[in-house]
Amino acid sequence: MKSEILYPGAFPMVRVDLAAGESIKAESGAMVACSPTIDIESKMEGGFLGALSRKFLTGEKFFFQTLRASRGSGEVLLAPTVPGEIVILELDGVNEYMVQKDGFLAGADAIVIESKMQSLSRGLLGGEGFFILKISGKGTLVLNSFGAIHKIELKPDQEYIVDNSHLVAWSATTSYNIEKATSGWVASFTSGEGFVCRFRGPGLVYIQSRNPGSFGAWIRQFIPVSE
Amino acid sequence: MISNALCFGNEFPASGAPCVVQVEGDGLTIIFESEGTEGAREVILFSALTVSAGGLDHDHLVVKWAHALGERTLYLKNHDVIRAFRQAAPDQLNAPFEQAAERVRQVRQRHRVLWAAVGGSILALVLGLWFGADLLVEVAVSRIPVEWEQKLGDSAYRDFLAHQEVMKEGPAVTALGEMTQRLTEQIPNNPYKFEVTVVKSDVVNAFALPGGHVVVFTGLMKKADSGEEVAGVMSHELNHVLQRHGLERIVKSLGLMTAVAIVLGDQQGLVGMMKQVGVELLTLKFGREQETEADVKGLQLLQRAKIDPSGMIKFFERLSEKDEGRMEWLSTHPMSTARAERLKAELAALPKKSPEPFTFEWKQVQASLGSQPVVAP
Repeated sequence: MKSEILYPGAFPMVRVDLAAGESIKAESGAMVACSPTIDIESKMEGGFLGALSRKFLTGEKFFFQTLRASRGSGEVLLAPTVPGEIVILELDGVNEYMVQKDGFLAGADAIVIESKMQSLSRGLLGGEGFFILKISGKGTLVLNSFGAIHKIELKPDQEYIVDNSHLVAWSATTSYNIEKATSGWVASFTSGEGFVCRFRGPGLVYIQSRNPGSFGAWIRQFIPVSE
Repeated sequence: MISNALCFGNEFPASGAPCVVQVEGDGLTIIFESEGTEGAREVILFSALTVSAGGLDHDHLVVKWAHALGERTLYLKNHDVIRAFRQAAPDQLNAPFEQAAERVRQVRQRHRVLWAAVGGSILALVLGLWFGADLLVEVAVSRIPVEWEQKLGDSAYRDFLAHQEVMKEGPAVTALGEMTQRLTEQIPNNPYKFEVTVVKSDVVNAFALPGGHVVVFTGLMKKADSGEEVAGVMSHELNHVLQRHGLERIVKSLGLMTAVAIVLGDQQGLVGMMKQVGVELLTLKFGREQETEADVKGLQLLQRAKIDPSGMIKFFERLSEKDEGRMEWLSTHPMSTARAERLKAELAALPKKSPEPFTFEWKQVQASLGSQPVVAP
């Protein structure tokens, strides 16, 4: 399996070349185009309950689609819903990544996707909800973001502060605490940051350059009120 | 060999170098598999190590040691390796190991306690709402002015009449008028203006709308053996109005639907729901407690109006025995022997009053409805 990002920038697409018999799982609706040798199957990853919990708990799609090169090699074009960059990670089987609910685009068949409950404070204040995706296994993982993706590399015990709504993915070797952006409660919110995540290395943190929630609030003022 | 740990250090990538950790008698052997350091091997003695808990959920064992190129950190998650490490480790590492384990336990315990607290408060809230709902509804209903109730009832009434044929005059209307008057005279401080409408339909039914509209179907009058029986139904329905049962149901179901709509984030549905209220009124089913209240108060009202209350009980009993025709009233007023028994007991407790008969002859009223064809002389 080989993957390549086409048109990098705001409106990218991923081309995945599949050898005969290979398959890739993708977020439902992510397929843009594919060779006629590719079969599209709908699959409840993690079984019915797993799919159900993913749907209700993380807000991710109930079904993932599996694209299988069952009749010979072929290629698949995949794209996310929102404008923003795509990043391709190679999971080595040891590294695990936590991915916020909209971040997953596609992954090799061998990667494992689970819904994971966060701790209370992270779930309540972290801005990703109580449940996130935990992705492990070995193979290609394709993430998408809103805006550009920026990678932060943390050495052991190195700290970094991230606005919680800009998180895309982070490795399981990092840890983070939720804290107020400034020392005072009022200033915390008037500064426009509210809560932030203090990450501690080692590991990687992927962040997105735009905040979907703020963008939604901004665009709302231009939407004509119906009725 | 499959990597079972990640090693971090200055010369490694930030995501860590996958490596294989093997536990030996006197230390750990780390075999790197990442490119560039192919096959590189490092042996660290137990005496050079420190251990702690780390990672996102404190479920990694973090091993640190000094290296010529700077500090190295190892993140271990594989349980077998951790167990083997702990068994092989010398005594001086026991305390740090115990501390790390304690830290993991603490974090897990804290998560459990917090989640239990949140779960508990959600449960308490739900239970509180469930059992406090009646009280809330009562408070809400008591704040709604009678005029609103009448407007609500009026619009539902008009909607209903659009598809019905109304009997405007005749012995049946006069008879019902007399019953209504005798009953309403006995209601102290009555804020409602009761209007009784007779609808031509063979359906055995009668209902009351909030605000004072009472609708009686001719089918019910045909079914009744005496004026007292119809008066019993009337008294029951009037009490639904007086006790504002319709409003209670609306507030309750609206409140529930509003809560559901808010939970599902469906504002459009909320607006549609408001429009639905008028329709809801006609299909309104009262709760068991409301029925009982209307029964008992109805019985007392009959008694005060000096109308024989046994007619009410008789009619109920008869309706429950047979399932003839379309007895709509039954579907909204489920009959049970328990209900009739309860009314009998209630009646026995009331002081005896000698009933005064109606001025009309019930058989003639029924004849005017055409149920029993008048034999030509």
